[in-house]
Order: sequence, then C-alpha cells, then structure tokens
Amino acid sequence: MVLEVKELSKQYSKVLAANKVSFSIEEGEIFALIGPNGAGKTTTIRMISTLIKPTGGDAIVAGFSAVNEPARVRENITYLPDEAGAYKNMTGNDYLNFMAGIFTTDLDKAREYVKRAQEICGLGERLEDKIGSYSRGMIRKLLLARAVMTRPKLAILDEPTSGLDVINAIEIRKLIKRLASEEKMSFLLSSHNMLEIEFVSDKVGIISKGKLHVVGKPCELKAKYGCDNLEEVFEKVVNSDEVSDIA
Amino acid sequence: MKFLTLLKKELKELLNFQTILTMVMMLVVLSILGEFMGGAMEESADSQAGTVAICDDDKTEFTADLINQIELSGYTIEMKENTSEDKAQLLDDADTDYLIIIPQGFTQSILEEKKTVDIEYISRVNNASVMSAVDSMDSASAVAIIQDAIFTTVMTGQYGIAIDELEFISMPVGVDEYTVVKDKSANASSAQIQSHMMSQSMLIPIVVFVLVIMASQMIINAVATEKLDKTLETLLSAPVSRFSVLGAKMTAAAIVALLNALVYMIGFGNYMKSITDMQGDLAAGTQATESVIEQLGLNMGMTDYILVGLQLFVSILISLSVSLILGALVSDAKETQTMILPITVLTMIPYMMSLFIDINTVEPAILRYVAWAIPFTHTFTAISNISFGNMGIYWAGFAYQIVFLAVCMFFAVKLFTSDKIFTISLNLGQKKKFKKNTK
Repeated sequence: MVLEVKELSKQYSKVLAANKVSFSIEEGEIFALIGPNGAGKTTTIRMISTLIKPTGGDAIVAGFSAVNEPARVRENITYLPDEAGAYKNMTGNDYLNFMAGIFTTDLDKAREYVKRAQEICGLGERLEDKIGSYSRGMIRKLLLARAVMTRPKLAILDEPTSGLDVINAIEIRKLIKRLASEEKMSFLLSSHNMLEIEFVSDKVGIISKGKLHVVGKPCELKAKYGCDNLEEVFEKVVNSDEVSDIA
Repeated sequence: MKFLTLLKKELKELLNFQTILTMVMMLVVLSILGEFMGGAMEESADSQAGTVAICDDDKTEFTADLINQIELSGYTIEMKENTSEDKAQLLDDADTDYLIIIPQGFTQSILEEKKTVDIEYISRVNNASVMSAVDSMDSASAVAIIQDAIFTTVMTGQYGIAIDELEFISMPVGVDEYTVVKDKSANASSAQIQSHMMSQSMLIPIVVFVLVIMASQMIINAVATEKLDKTLETLLSAPVSRFSVLGAKMTAAAIVALLNALVYMIGFGNYMKSITDMQGDLAAGTQATESVIEQLGLNMGMTDYILVGLQLFVSILISLSVSLILGALVSDAKETQTMILPITVLTMIPYMMSLFIDINTVEPAILRYVAWAIPFTHTFTAISNISFGNMGIYWAGFAYQIVFLAVCMFFAVKLFTSDKIFTISLNLGQKKKFKKNTK
C-alpha cells in the first residue's frame, strides 16, 4: 500500500474542514477525490502533502507518518497544487534543473530527472524560453512533468487539468494513465470534472463538508446508486448529505 | 547543497537585468549629479564674489567714488542704465537677475542732510530650488556692500582717516572661537564643525532609508509571489526544510540589499566628494576642518564604521523578518504595494527626525521613547552616537535591535513552520465589502 489515510481531521477555529477522512491507495492506482467547492479536498491533500498538520488521525505514505515523519513523506511524494504557477523569470529548463536540485544532490540523478521531464512535457525548444511567455497549457505540462520526473511513489495532483483546453486535458489524462500502468506510479487526484474522473481513475472518493461519504470503483458506485454516470452518483451523494444535515 | 540551490534561485530572481541596470544607473546618476552640483556651486560662488550690477541715478562725484571703492574691494562692477519704471522690464533691459539702484539725491541726503536714504534693490526669483537661492544676492548683502563703501569713502575722503585706522574703527573686536566636544577642545567655530559633521553623516541616513525599503520590498514581493503562484506549496512539499527555504530567501535579500548599499555608498560618496571638494576649495585659507575634527575626536575610524555597519545590518535583518510576515499576509497581487507601508512609515519617522533634531535629547521625553522604540532609529543615530561618544546609547540601541530581531524572527519562523503560511491573510478590502453587503 502506498497511502493509507486514517481518520484524518482538520479543525480550523470554527470550521471542521476534514472530518475523520479514511481511504487507501495501492501501488499503480489512481484515486480521485471529488466534491463540491469547500468540501475539504484541498485540506485533505495538503495534510497528506505535509503542508498543514492534521488535528486528528494520520496519513501513512510509503510506510512513513505524515504527522511524525513529514520529511520522509516528502521524499516519496510530489505535489502539484491547483492553478499553480512557476517562476516566470526562469526558462523551462532552469525550472526543471532547479526542482531536480531540490529533490536530489546527486548530479547524475538530477540530469536524469530533467531529461525525463523534458521528454514528458513535450515542450521541445520552448524549454529555452522564459516561463513568463508560456500559455497556461504549457505551464501545466511543465509542472506535471516536474511532478512525475522523480518517479515518486505517490503523485498528488490537485485539479490537474483545470483551465486547460480539451486537447491539453486529454494529453494529461493519457499521461497519468500511462505512468500508473507502465511505471506503477500511484496518483491522488482531485477534480470537479466527473467525465475526467470516470475516464482516468481506478477508485473514487466523494467528499462533502469535510466528510468522505463513499469510496469505490466508478462502475461499482454507478451500480450501487443506480446511475448512468459518476455525475449523477455525485449529485445523489452530495444531496443526501445536505438532506441529512437539514434533518 | 539544497540550501545553495535555493539561494542561487533566489539570487537569480532578485538580481535580474532590471535590478542590475537600476544599480548601474544609480551609480552613474549620483556621480554625474555630484559633478553637476559641484560645478553649480562653483559658478554661484564665482558670481557672488565677482559681480555687482549698479545703476547710478545720482551720478555725483561721491557716488563715483563709492562705486570705485566697491571695485577696490574686489568686486567687478557692471554699470546699468535706469531704462524703465517697470522693475521686470528694467532687469530685462539690464540683462541681470539683481540690480542695486542708487537714487537721485543720494549724495545730498548722506553728505549734506545727514539723513538715512534708501537704495533700491531688485532681484528676480526664477524658481524655488536651493541653488537659485544660493545664486542670488539678498538685500542685506547689497546694503552691506554700499554701507561699507560709504563708510570707507566718507571716513577717508571727508575725515581724512587712514585705511589702517579705519580697519580698527570698523572692527575693534575680533573673535577667537573655540569649540568643545566632551573633554576636548579646538580652535574652530562650532558652525564649521557642524557643517562638516552634517555633510559627513548625511550619507548614512539616506543609505539606511533606501536599503530598508528596498530589502523589504524585495522580500514582500518574493514571498507574496510565491504564495499567490503557489510555488511556495510546491517547494514546501518537496524534500527540503522550511528553514532552508526561509533562510535562502532572507540571505539572498540581504546580499542584494548589501550590494545595493555598496553601490549607493560609492555613488553617494562620489556625489558628496564633488561637493565637499568644492567646499574645501572655497574655504581655502581657513583652518583645515579635518585636523580640527581629529583634534576633537570626531573623526571616524575603521572600528567606528564597523559599528555603524553592524547596526545597519541588524536593521536590514529586522526589515527582512517583518517583511516575511507582511508578504505572507498578502492575498491579492494589488496588496503587495500596500504591505510596504508600515515599514515605510517606521523608517520615515526616524529618518526625518534625525535630519532635524537630536533624538537623544528631544523633549518631551515621550517623543524620545517613541523614536527609540522604532528599531531603525538606532541605525539612523549611530554615526552621531559614535562620533560624540554616546556609546551607552549606542549599545543599548544595539541590544534593543537584537531583541527586536529575535522576536520578529521567532514570529516569522513560527509562521513559516505552521499552517498559517497558507491560510493567513489580511483581506481588508474584502472584509469591508462583506460588512457593507451584510448591512
């Protein structure tokens, strides 16, 4: 098991952003966390990425505790935040070299990471240009290549295709699927795009108001709720959560 | 190794083409400005000592003697004609910016009626610059020139008094001025000392002001941009300690700030040198100020400069740690510029105070304590404290700065190592808007 999330909670002063969230991800698995805005997706992802500390529970990444061994966890993950940018004054290659230097002090290994990222992002000669001149799609490809260049045990991608056109989004989905199946890399995604989730993920978790309601394979969830697609499943789960809240 | 990678990246971000160009331009502009100012001072000094434009409406033997006497005193006389009642037209026709008019009946009033008589003095104001004030002669100087000439002409011509005797009559009392600093004294005027000290210590406050603001702006921008672009999240989820990220940012900003300090020091040094060289030339013949300064123990040695540098460096570190917190509060790109405001105000207060008053003795005492509570104040007054031997105040100020820095660093590190770095923001505008909408 690459990730085991055990009753992970985060209480801000008045808001319970994550309420005993539990799920797990196997090697080579793509897990998608879906939910409405403010559901607690990013809070859960940030706790697993060791960016913020949980107020309860733990996340075990590749055998290391996010609470007690955050530095070891960071050696095994990469994180791509939602709508992340990159250093505009750097060229694409500068950025990849810089990030490789952050992940390893071994120069050969760093060169290998950069080479791999250059191949994955497919930006070619544009990597010599400043990132400030890149389109949104190009930046996202660069960042995604950076996120997978080190072959992390777990790549955490928050809204990996948000704001991208159809062609770029398809390319990125295909890449995620390929890396999971061929390189046995595990992914934790979050997204609003149900079609994307249905296409790309092996397992889905629906989260609302900080609580993870259901976890399962897309086909299992569709059968369980008698729905044709994941969008309808999502609607039913979220609405039932709101009804139970009113009751 | 990873720290060096981070430091290299931060330096590359801060030391881009624009910042290097700004530094070079600053160096060139200050040097050129110094040359220009020195030249302007020389020119105005020449014009002051050199030429007096006079229009003699009385045209008597006495006024001719008077004008001759002014010429003998070392002035070049330019005789002008009274061509118009309109003063502006008169200056235009005379092609001058100031003119002394000796009125009709002047000789009769002085020599026969023994009555005070007014001369006319016309001067033109072209602009409000300091140099324009230096350029023009004031009415008191004009009257003094005429009075001296009258005194000499009347005394020697009418009363037959010899020039030597006249010098004694006109100035029977001289002055041998001494200035005391602490337990040392020197045969020099206090005005001479103050003027020299002011020109010497003028550089440091400007450098402190520029450096603190510049370093703060750099770090606020750097942290705010990282936070808004979410590159900070990427970095902090990578296998690198938060202390390294924080340390690299502060070290890079400090290096760039000190580099800027060096450029400003060289540029401003050139600027001041051109002016003081000029002042030295003008003051040739008077007692050498440098030796008086040394005699009074007011000269700065290497140790003194190191002490000033120490406080300057601590001030920069304080501004950097405060800026880290301010940068983290930014939630919108537009807020980045506003966030520098608290530091600007805290730097401006001691800067202005140190230019006009002695902060260490200012009354009421509450003003002094308020000024001392601002950590940058101690750097602004460092030269004065060291030169005048107020080492107790210097070390107390330094100790206070260290404590202040430790507190700021504690909060900055706490912020960077906690969740708050991602969640904290001021959002003042939004809060106001929200309150308005909910009314």
